[in-house]
Amino acid sequence: MTTLTKTEETPAPNAADPFLSVRDLRVHFSTEDGVVKAVNGLSFDLERGKTLGIVGESGSGKSVTNLSILGLHNPQSTTVTGEILLDGQDLTDVSGKQLEALRGNKMAMIFQDALTALSPYYTVGRQISEPYMKHTGASKKEARARAIEMLGKVGIPDPKNRVDDYPHQFSGGMRQRAMIAMSLVCNPELLIADEPTTALDVTVQAQILDLLKDLQQEFGSAIILITHDLGVVANFVDDLLVMYAGRAVERGSVREVLKQPQHPYTWGLLSSMPRLSSDVGEQLQPIPGSPPSLLNPPSGCAFHPRCAYAELVDGGLCTHERPLLPDGRGAACHLPADRKQQVFIEKIQPRLG
Amino acid sequence: MLQFLIRRAFGAVLTLFLISAVTFFMFFAIPQDPALLACGKNCTPDALAVIHQNLGLDKPVPVQFWDFMVGVFAGRDFAVGHCDAPCFGVSFATQQNVWDTILDRFPLTLSLSIGGLIVFLIVGLGAGMIAAAKKGTATDKVFSSASLVLSSLQIYFLGPVVLGLFVYSTGWLDKPKWVPISESVSGWFMGLLIPWLVISVIFTANYTRMSRSTMIEQLQEEHVRAARAKGMSRSYVFFRYAWRGSLIPIVTILGMDLGALFGGAIVTEFTFGLPGIGRLAVQSVQDKDLPLTMGVMVFSAAFILLFNVIVDATYALIDPRVRLS
Amino acid sequence: MSIFGTRKTRAVVVALAAGSLALTACGGNSDSGTKDKSKTQEDAAQQSQAVIFGDAAASTGPAPEVPGARSGGTATVYQDSDFSHLDPGQTYVSDGKLLDRLIQRGLTQYAEDDKGRLTLVGDLATDSGKTTDGGKSWTFTLKDGLKDQNGNAITSADVRHSIERLYAPFITDGPTYVQAWLSGAGTTYRKALPDGPYKGKHLPDSVLATPDAKTVVFKFKDAHPDLPQALAMPGYSLVPAKTDTKEKYDTAPVATGPYKIAEFKPGKSMTLVKNENWDPKTDSVRHQYVDGFNIQYNHDDDDQTKTILADRGEAKNAVMFTGQVSTNQVRNVVNDPEAMKRTIQGYAPYVWQLNFNLDRMKDKKVRDAITYALPSAQIYKLDGGAYGGETATGLISPTTPGYEKDYDPFGKLKKPNGDVEKAKALIKEAGAEGQKVVYAYGNTPVRQQQAVVIADRLKAIGLDVVKKEIDSATWYEQVGKVQNGLDLYMTGWGQDWPSASTVIPPLYDGTQIQDGSSVYSHINDPKVNSEIQRILKISDPAEAQKAWTALHHDIVERINPAAPIYFTKVFQIFGSNVGGIRYSTDSSYVDVTRIFLKK
Repeated sequence: MTTLTKTEETPAPNAADPFLSVRDLRVHFSTEDGVVKAVNGLSFDLERGKTLGIVGESGSGKSVTNLSILGLHNPQSTTVTGEILLDGQDLTDVSGKQLEALRGNKMAMIFQDALTALSPYYTVGRQISEPYMKHTGASKKEARARAIEMLGKVGIPDPKNRVDDYPHQFSGGMRQRAMIAMSLVCNPELLIADEPTTALDVTVQAQILDLLKDLQQEFGSAIILITHDLGVVANFVDDLLVMYAGRAVERGSVREVLKQPQHPYTWGLLSSMPRLSSDVGEQLQPIPGSPPSLLNPPSGCAFHPRCAYAELVDGGLCTHERPLLPDGRGAACHLPADRKQQVFIEKIQPRLG
Repeated sequence: MLQFLIRRAFGAVLTLFLISAVTFFMFFAIPQDPALLACGKNCTPDALAVIHQNLGLDKPVPVQFWDFMVGVFAGRDFAVGHCDAPCFGVSFATQQNVWDTILDRFPLTLSLSIGGLIVFLIVGLGAGMIAAAKKGTATDKVFSSASLVLSSLQIYFLGPVVLGLFVYSTGWLDKPKWVPISESVSGWFMGLLIPWLVISVIFTANYTRMSRSTMIEQLQEEHVRAARAKGMSRSYVFFRYAWRGSLIPIVTILGMDLGALFGGAIVTEFTFGLPGIGRLAVQSVQDKDLPLTMGVMVFSAAFILLFNVIVDATYALIDPRVRLS
Repeated sequence: MSIFGTRKTRAVVVALAAGSLALTACGGNSDSGTKDKSKTQEDAAQQSQAVIFGDAAASTGPAPEVPGARSGGTATVYQDSDFSHLDPGQTYVSDGKLLDRLIQRGLTQYAEDDKGRLTLVGDLATDSGKTTDGGKSWTFTLKDGLKDQNGNAITSADVRHSIERLYAPFITDGPTYVQAWLSGAGTTYRKALPDGPYKGKHLPDSVLATPDAKTVVFKFKDAHPDLPQALAMPGYSLVPAKTDTKEKYDTAPVATGPYKIAEFKPGKSMTLVKNENWDPKTDSVRHQYVDGFNIQYNHDDDDQTKTILADRGEAKNAVMFTGQVSTNQVRNVVNDPEAMKRTIQGYAPYVWQLNFNLDRMKDKKVRDAITYALPSAQIYKLDGGAYGGETATGLISPTTPGYEKDYDPFGKLKKPNGDVEKAKALIKEAGAEGQKVVYAYGNTPVRQQQAVVIADRLKAIGLDVVKKEIDSATWYEQVGKVQNGLDLYMTGWGQDWPSASTVIPPLYDGTQIQDGSSVYSHINDPKVNSEIQRILKISDPAEAQKAWTALHHDIVERINPAAPIYFTKVFQIFGSNVGGIRYSTDSSYVDVTRIFLKK
């Protein structure tokens, strides 16, 4: 089914190391107004065959993280420091050509909106074939056959004919499938899906997610799913990373984070989400305030200006000292564990139902 | 596509008819009598009446328009001889067949426009793309500021300056003149070199700026980033994905500029003393030369309409969404 | 020549359309610092002597050689636009006249000496015409060996045809003097031969007779002593009967002069080559030095001046026809001694005058006041400076016989910038302080700038001026209306041939007042009217000239229908290889018949 062959020269990855390991990643953009610290010391690991969800508001740094993994940031205005180890290879340290060889091949990305992410000027088939030809050296004919195969695999009916269609001739869901086909054409080991279903109808969303899951099982890829939709996250991911103002503020398995959230920001995210079991007329609780400026982040805990529980912390610690995120399961918050538990049980849990 | 062309052709014919009618009737709204120009020194009402009769101006205006339209499709007879269809009549001022006069002037205006077009498209789009690719660098800044300065120049300013420098003072180049390409290719080329350069300097600047900004815009498009995410190389994405998208606004502006280039031929032709359609247009209006005015108007309009159809067809070539919708 | 007509207007409008800055430049002022090298009135005085009527000897070819002249080469001519007409019958304005001198011949033509004195000589005719009855009938005899460009012999029938075809309806733009004298004034002459000679009809022998193949006799009811001069106009040049193509003749005329049209691309160029059938022995004036002329259109004055001044390549052989040194290039030319050697200067026949609409400006004191007040020098400086004009003292141009350089009733020479005090006093005397006057002007840059100067001055002497701008394309049409609603307007007029008879009657004969006539001031004085009729019949040129001069004085001093402002001048430059260049009193531009190339 696949003609992709791995060369033996690639050093065998250390079994103990995770497939993707991001260590103290910092992504800073220099702008006319100053330096924007879009990602500021982010670390996480991802195993093969696993799915990591990253949630957070717009501007929390989740998309930037993924673009910098792919090396798609603007090299002139962006500095990336830290380590991005993919299969033992540090991506911050390889040449543009090497990255090009990896992109679309070993790692691929699914964009939020296939309408804008597929070029309107070329047929779907051509856009799927392109990376395949480039990465495998396949001929046009082979690549076309592969494109048809991939379209079939992602559930496009009559792929033989639709392969010559242009993206605008596809429906929204079909386009998204086509883009998934384009991303998966070289059997990537790492798949980054940036809000892959946001632009779609709810029914189609489920189909797409199912498709991704099936494909993951087939190829054994690692997936990073970026979303702000916690409903999607619950059914799909293994681990969850909550980001706020360029940093991870809570981490754990999806169960842990959703059932026992520890960070007030996570509480806020969960509370602002409608659920079927809630009473009609019950108010959603949006997080007050707006996301902080990344040019000039607040001192101490970046969330403190919006945090309802900051005064529960003694000595105004929240305003001048940044809480650290412990390794493994945990949250970056100064609230002592007992108070946290108390607040969660009294105020948050009832709302989550 | 065929249906599209048929539809457009039909629309064009209708537009041309309307332009003819409006021009014709507007001409008679001008309170100036074309006969006065052929009426010698002591122009008495009697003498005017004779000229009116000679020019056919004594008939009611709708009848004159009908005669004109008949001439366009079937030809007409004049005192100076028969005029084959498409007959736009015989010039009041020169007694020349209008259609032949226009065809005689057309190669110059076409050479001027197309030659300038080629130069400014190549240089302008090229410079814009380089600037976009090197956005923020010194190259970009030089290109961008140079184009800003150059785009504020006008042909009637730059033209005499170039003539003064390269023709009158130094004699490095010959004065622009019209040599048909059929007579001498090198004469044609050298004769139009200065006008081409001057036109293209002015238009180039606009196209540099436009090509730069649309390229930058296109490079930020999601599909361009997606193509990069597929592992396509920078230059491949630049030329295949971003450039193709940047052509749409450029073709749109080009469609308008082609009209302006044709119209701007008036200024260019006067600046360089070249006998083209633009000069003919001005002359015909000054001479109150109805047949020539009509001919030039309809011809130019037809040409601009043709350009519009070409531009629309080019859209379809560039963008499949246009093609199929 | 006609009033400043379509050509001039067109050039101005064209420059405007092209966005040219050339015409707004104020070259006149720049001259003040440099020594005025412009032609003085003394030189021009030659131009105003009465024309001599030449005899057979003066009319016999070949023409005397031009010193240093050499044959060969092709001259380049730069022109702004097409000649308005090629059909002689339609030709009236100057550009057509210059071309006509090269390719056509009429019964008479002017010979000029080095001083610019004119002698009317026979051209196709053996002499300048014979009359035995004081100008009522005129006899012309054709020379031997005359041929047109096709080699056909020219006979008296061709001359008759050339006159008769002017009655045909398609001839509308040329002069009408001779037709009117033969068959009736205005347009009534057309009734004598409504279709011209084309349907086999001819004028009766009692009007125009051709007793034999070489003789033509014109017979008038009244005496017309000016006929020989009228016949020298290009409008009366010969059109061979056999090859007359009527309307089409205007694009392809048959040549009788030393050159013929080899190629004509309307709006682009015209090539003249030698007419081998022109025999120099039959022509006492024209030469055939250059092999041909390459006439290129679409070069405006500025372009022509710059190109010829730069003197490179084919511009070394370049000739101006009706082009002039452009106002904003005057300084560059004047300050270059080498270039000045390549120029000619002379008077143009136009007199710019400020007409008083006598229907409205009835108080002579006010008219005199304005005449005293106007700053002529400031006004012509805006129209080319010292090389474009000169203070006018009367209404007769220096080019017109009868011009007196000392005649200066309003003291304009002493006070070229106007006499405000005297004007103020006159206005006061007339009790006209605050009187409203409407000053009209065309919307060209020169006229607009002049309007500012004139309005300021009228204000300064106590009048309430209302400026009214008029589309220059319809200028003469509008001010030519009897009910024009205007008080003051400037017009230019030039003679048709060197005689006051082509200036005073058209401008000051009140019996002609109607819409479209050139009696712009609406002067209608019985004494003037009757004098005009009397003088027109005087057959002795010298006596007639005396009478015109007296009438001129009477008009200016007793009536003052128009304030003289300035005489126009001509300033042309040529390529360094062009020889034989000389100002022609006849054409008021370069004499094209004697041009040669030095090498």
